[in-house]
Amino acid sequence: MATHAETLDHEHHHPPGLQHQFDDMGQQEESVSIGMWMFLVQEIMFFGGLFTVYLVFRSRFPMAFAAGSNHLDVVMGFVNTLVLIVSSLTMALTVYFAQKGNRNMQVILIILTMLFGATFLGVKVVEYTDKFNHGLVPVTGLNRIVRAPAGAEHAETPAKPCWEVSHGEEHEYINPRGEFLWHDCSLAKKAEDGKYLTAAERVGYYNQGTHEIDPDKFRDKVRIYFWIYFAMTGLHALHMIIGLVLMTWLGIKAWKNTFSADYYMPVEMSGLYWHFVDIVWIFLFPLLYLLGRHFIAHGG
Amino acid sequence: MSDNHTEEQHIGIPGYLIVFGILVIGTVATYLVALTDLDSKLFPGANTMVALLIAFTKMTCVMLFFMHVYWSKKLIWLSAIASFFWLAIMFAFTMQDYFTRSLGQFTY
Repeated sequence: MATHAETLDHEHHHPPGLQHQFDDMGQQEESVSIGMWMFLVQEIMFFGGLFTVYLVFRSRFPMAFAAGSNHLDVVMGFVNTLVLIVSSLTMALTVYFAQKGNRNMQVILIILTMLFGATFLGVKVVEYTDKFNHGLVPVTGLNRIVRAPAGAEHAETPAKPCWEVSHGEEHEYINPRGEFLWHDCSLAKKAEDGKYLTAAERVGYYNQGTHEIDPDKFRDKVRIYFWIYFAMTGLHALHMIIGLVLMTWLGIKAWKNTFSADYYMPVEMSGLYWHFVDIVWIFLFPLLYLLGRHFIAHGG
Repeated sequence: MSDNHTEEQHIGIPGYLIVFGILVIGTVATYLVALTDLDSKLFPGANTMVALLIAFTKMTCVMLFFMHVYWSKKLIWLSAIASFFWLAIMFAFTMQDYFTRSLGQFTY
């Protein structure tokens, strides 16, 4: 620790990156990291609100959530998880080489991190497009609009009840108003047969006073799932975009050889942000993509 | 000024690769476990419990070693742990309401 006299003594050649309001690099680093952590704590509460919504509605309508979840592309979710983990590794290594003052490795690893981040967003675009094409965006009008072919009015009556629709069955896509569409309530039927449909779900799915699943009521519960899916992955994707902007700035600074063993906190702090976004996805992947897989994994 | 950095505050490249390996194994394990019906083999909700357990393990690895919490000051440890404490309060207070409501009022 530098004494006050020493600090004054060295004032004419203070280290690069030391802001004038701090006595020394140690004090500056401590202030910077506690500030960043306070930001991350409020970010956790920010996402925590959405996780609370998820908790409330999933505990109410587990089968509707499982049905919606099974419709997501688990391979894309899995690949994206790996992509983010690799980007976290390259980010951690960026900090390592910043501490070593190795400019070239920093620049290479920051570019790699950005490439993986962009890959993640690219996969997300493919997934969102797929939802748009299949009428799974929970906002009327924001789905692909396809008018029924002329003279096909008779075909509009559904051939069979929603609980006999098997998972993954293809449907002719007719959606004149771009509405949220859902055909398959077989999981609710399965839960009913297996005697594990909850009382709350019966109220939520059945026609009042009957024991028959109302396709529209079930669709609305699946729609809640897709709202949460889009809100959570959308907010996460927004964080990824902000992360990429941050990485661009960081890459330019690294290119100019700004960082060394004495001054690398911008790299470390950007790393904290990047890892935080990775952690959110570590929870989103099982909670959104995998929650109902075991219901259908064995051909059920 | 390098006196703050005399001791290594990271686990080195081999260490980072080990943590990375743990994260990949955790991801594969989450996927495989999700295909197995633990709900009927163990207890209802077992699938979710195991998935969250793996996620928490992965998160702990990332926080301790990638985010360097392991070498950080106690104040950083406190903020990291406290955030989960606040989160737990939010979850617990919300759910004690929803779990104790009579059926049919909220579900329309």
